[in-house]
Amino acid sequence: MYGQDTKLSDFFYSAMMLNTDMNYRTYADLKENKAVQNYRDLSDEHILDRIISGDYDLKPETVNKIKKLKDSYGRIMKITQKYKKIAEENSIKVVSCLERRYPYNWKVLSGMPKVFYYRGNYSVIDSMTLSGSVAVVGSRNASKYALYATEQICNELGTKGITVVSGMAYGIDRHAHIASVKTPGSTVAVLAGGADNIYPPANRDVYDAICAEGVVISEMPPGQTPLRNYFPSRNRLIAGLSDCTLIMEAGAVSGTLHTASFAAAQGKEVFVLPNNIYYENAMGGLKLLEDGGNVLLNSESVIDGVARSVMYKRIGMGCSAELCFRDNDENVFEDEANIGVLRELAKLKPEALTDDNWKILIKDALTLKPLCADDLCVMTSLPFYKVSKLLTELELNGTVCQEKGKYSLTFV
Amino acid sequence: MASKPNIVRIYSCFTTGTESTVSLIEVSISPGIPTFSVIGLCDSSIRESQGRLRSAFKSTGFNMPKGHITVGISPAYMRKAGSGFDLPMALGILFASGQLYLPEGAKIFAEGELTLSGDLKGTPGSCIRLKTVRDMDFDYRLIPAGEASSAGLAGFKGQAVNSLSELTDIFDNNSYCEQDFSFTNDTCGDDFIDISMLKGQEKAKRALLICASGFHNILLMGSPGSGKTMAGKILSGIMPKLSPGELSDVYSLNELIGGEAEKISDNRPVRIVGPGITVSKLLGDSVSVTPGELALANHGILFADEFPLYKTEVIDFLRKPLEERKVNLVRRGTLYSFDSNFIFLGTGNPCKCGLLYEKGSKCRCSASEIKRYLSKINGPFLERIDLFSEMRTISGKDMASIYTDKDECESLKYRDIVQGCWDKQYSRYGAGFLNATFPEDNIKDSMRIPDKVIRYASELSEKGFFSARGFTRILRVARTIADIDGAEDVSEDDVSEASQYRLRGF
Repeated sequence: MYGQDTKLSDFFYSAMMLNTDMNYRTYADLKENKAVQNYRDLSDEHILDRIISGDYDLKPETVNKIKKLKDSYGRIMKITQKYKKIAEENSIKVVSCLERRYPYNWKVLSGMPKVFYYRGNYSVIDSMTLSGSVAVVGSRNASKYALYATEQICNELGTKGITVVSGMAYGIDRHAHIASVKTPGSTVAVLAGGADNIYPPANRDVYDAICAEGVVISEMPPGQTPLRNYFPSRNRLIAGLSDCTLIMEAGAVSGTLHTASFAAAQGKEVFVLPNNIYYENAMGGLKLLEDGGNVLLNSESVIDGVARSVMYKRIGMGCSAELCFRDNDENVFEDEANIGVLRELAKLKPEALTDDNWKILIKDALTLKPLCADDLCVMTSLPFYKVSKLLTELELNGTVCQEKGKYSLTFV
Repeated sequence: MASKPNIVRIYSCFTTGTESTVSLIEVSISPGIPTFSVIGLCDSSIRESQGRLRSAFKSTGFNMPKGHITVGISPAYMRKAGSGFDLPMALGILFASGQLYLPEGAKIFAEGELTLSGDLKGTPGSCIRLKTVRDMDFDYRLIPAGEASSAGLAGFKGQAVNSLSELTDIFDNNSYCEQDFSFTNDTCGDDFIDISMLKGQEKAKRALLICASGFHNILLMGSPGSGKTMAGKILSGIMPKLSPGELSDVYSLNELIGGEAEKISDNRPVRIVGPGITVSKLLGDSVSVTPGELALANHGILFADEFPLYKTEVIDFLRKPLEERKVNLVRRGTLYSFDSNFIFLGTGNPCKCGLLYEKGSKCRCSASEIKRYLSKINGPFLERIDLFSEMRTISGKDMASIYTDKDECESLKYRDIVQGCWDKQYSRYGAGFLNATFPEDNIKDSMRIPDKVIRYASELSEKGFFSARGFTRILRVARTIADIDGAEDVSEDDVSEASQYRLRGF
C-alpha cells in the first residue's frame, strides 16, 4: 500500500530501523529468500502478512521480528509521518540507494545507508563523483598550526573544484567547512543526528552557510538528536563519501583515528599533516604516518591522490575524460638568522644581547613547540618582567600569540 | 556609712553592628513586694541577668536587697542586647542597697558579665565599646580582666576586675588605680609559606609581588597541585605587618563576632572561603548585623578557593564590595557599614580537568566545556581583577631544588620591597591609599603617567590586547610595576609587562 509512495517508504525504513529490533541481518535473510524485492516492500502490510503466513523458508527469529513489526505497524507509521512533517518544515529531502543520484562512492561500498537525508544544494554531491572529494578531519581542540594548514589546504582544494567533506564539529571540521564553502568545490557536512539538528549548536553560522552553498547530509531521519554511538557510524560515512582522507591533527586517543581506519579499510588514501613530535595532541596522526600514511606536504599531493581515485572511478563507470588538476606553485624559503651564534652568546654573555636578539631566540624556541612564560624564563634565564615585555612586543607585531596559557608562533 | 541614695547611676556601653552607644543604667530600690524589673527595650540576655546577679551576690557575700528593684537602661528607645550590663547593674544594686560605698558625685563606667560564682567575664564587642568611651570623662572605669587585650588595642585606661568581691576593695578601701593596658598576644609568630616554594613559576611569583605592592586583586588559575592554595599563605607572607590602627580594626571585628580573637596577631588576616559559601556568610547577616567574611578580610586577603565553582549569585554580590571596598547592611532602616578593603585572591582550575595549562596537551576538555566552565566569572566581575597568572605543576627538578638550596627568607626580601612601594604610594596619595585603591578616576597626573605611555597603552588596546574598560586597570598595574622598579614615571615597558597579566583565552 505504502509501497507506492516511495518517499514515505524511505521514511518508514528509517523509522523501522531506529524503533524496532529489525537489523541488517534480518533484512539480508528476507532478501536472500526473495521475501522482499527491496527495503521499500517492508512498508507494505500485505507483504508483511505474506511473510508471517510462512510462504518462505525463513529463520524463525526473522519471522518473529516481522510479527513484532506488524504489531507495531501503527506506531511506526505515526513516527514516519512525524519525520515527513519535520522534513517538510525544514526542507529536508530523502535520497534512496535505489535512486540514480545516490553517491557513487557509497554505492560501491557495503554497509552504507539505504536512505539518507540532505538539506541544501544536492548538485554538490552529484558533481563530487567526477570532480573528487576529500574528507578533512581532526581534533576539535586543534593547534593554531593545524587550523591554519586546514584553512589553506581546504581553500586550495576547493578552488580546484574538489569537495571538502567533514563533520561540522569544532576545530578542524569547522575551519575546513568555512574555508571551502565559498569555493567551486564547495563542502559537504555529514551530521551524526538529523540533518535539521545543528550539532554543536554553536556552529549554526557554519550550518547556515553550508545549507546555502553546500549540502548537509545525515543517515539519521529528521528530528533525531545526535547520540554518542552515532558518531563512529558518521565517521565511516565521511570516509566512505570521499576519495582521500586528510588527518589534520589527531591525539593518541581520538575519534579522528576511527575515520582514518575506516578510510584505510575502504581502500582510500590517507594523508596526515606532519606535526611536531613533542606536541602530544598530534601523536595519533604521527603514529598513522609511522604505519604508512601519506605525508600531507601540500595540496598537490592530495590533488594527485584524488585524481587517481577519480580515474579509477571513471574506468569503473565506463567514462573517460582528461584529468587536469595540477598547476605549479613556487615554494618560498625564508632566510634564517644565524641563531647558533645567538644561542652561544646567550649562554656566555647574556648582557650583550639586545632585545631584538632575545626576540629571535624566543621565536626560535617557539618553533619547536608552544611554551608558557615560565618555560621561556628558564630558557632565556631572564626575569619574568623582561620576558613579558618581549612577549608583548612580539604579540603586538603579530609574530607570537597565546593560547591555553602557552605562547606559540602565529602562522601568518 | 553614706546616705542611702534612692537612685544610682552607672554608665556602660553596648554595640549594634560595629556602632556602639554609651548608655546610662539607673537602679532604684523602693520598699514593697520583692520584684526585679529591667526596662529599656532589653532582650532576654539582659533580663536574665537577675538570676546571675542573685547567685553572684550570694557567692561573694553580698545580698540581693529585699524590695522593689527597677533597672532602667537608657537610651530607652534603642534595642539592646548583651550580658555586659551585669556589672553595672550589680554595682547599681549594691550602691543603692548600701552594701557598697558610693563616693559622692562619682561617675562610674563599668561593663562585664557575671558568672554564678561572681567572676567577671568579657563580652564580644569590647574593643569597639572601649574605643567609644576611651576619651570620656569617668572617675572609675571598671572592665573584666578578660577584656584587657581589647582595652590595650583601644587605648583604654581603667582597672581590670576579676571578681565581684574585688569591688569591696575598690570602693570601700578606695584602692581604685587606673592602669594602662597593653595588647598581649602570644601567637605573634610569622606564619607563612616562603615564596621560594613557587620555584619555576616566575610569572605567578612576579604577579604576587605586584599584587601585594599595589593591593591589586588577582586570579590564579592552574592545575590541581600547582600550589594555588599555597598562594594565599605566600601572599600574606610578603605583605607588611598590620599597622597598630589596622590591627585594632581587625581585632575588634574578630572579637565582636566572638571569633578566635586570641589568635589575632599583626599578620594580615587571610579569610579562606570555599564554593559552598552563602551570600549572608560573605556579606554579613543583616538580621543580627554580624560582619561577614568580606568585612573580616579587611586589611588582608580574601582567598576564594575554587572560584569557578562559586554560585553566580555569590559572584554577583562580590562585585559591589570590591568596587566600594565596604559592605553595607541595612537593618530596620539603619545602615551599617563595614570596611572591606582587602586583596581578592581567586584561584581555580582553568577547565573541568584542570590540566589546560599543563605541558603538552593533557587536557581533554572541549572548547565548549572550557567556555561553560568559566562562563560564570566572565564579564563584569573580571573588571575588578587586575592581575591574572597561570600556574602549572612544579617539575620534579624544581621541587627538589626547593628543598635542597632553600632560601628561607625570600619572602622577607619581598616584604621589604612591598613595604617600600607602600611608603611611596602613601606619600603620593595620602595614607591608606594604594595604586589599586586610590579612588580617583583621572589617574594620569596623580600616577605620573606620561602622554607617550598613554598613547602606547591605547595602541595596545586598539590591537585587542585589552578592552577599553581594562585600560585604567592596566595603567594602575603599570604604576605598581614602576614603583617596584623605583621609577618616578610610568614607562612603556611597565605597560607592556602589565598587559601580560590580563586574562585571556576565554
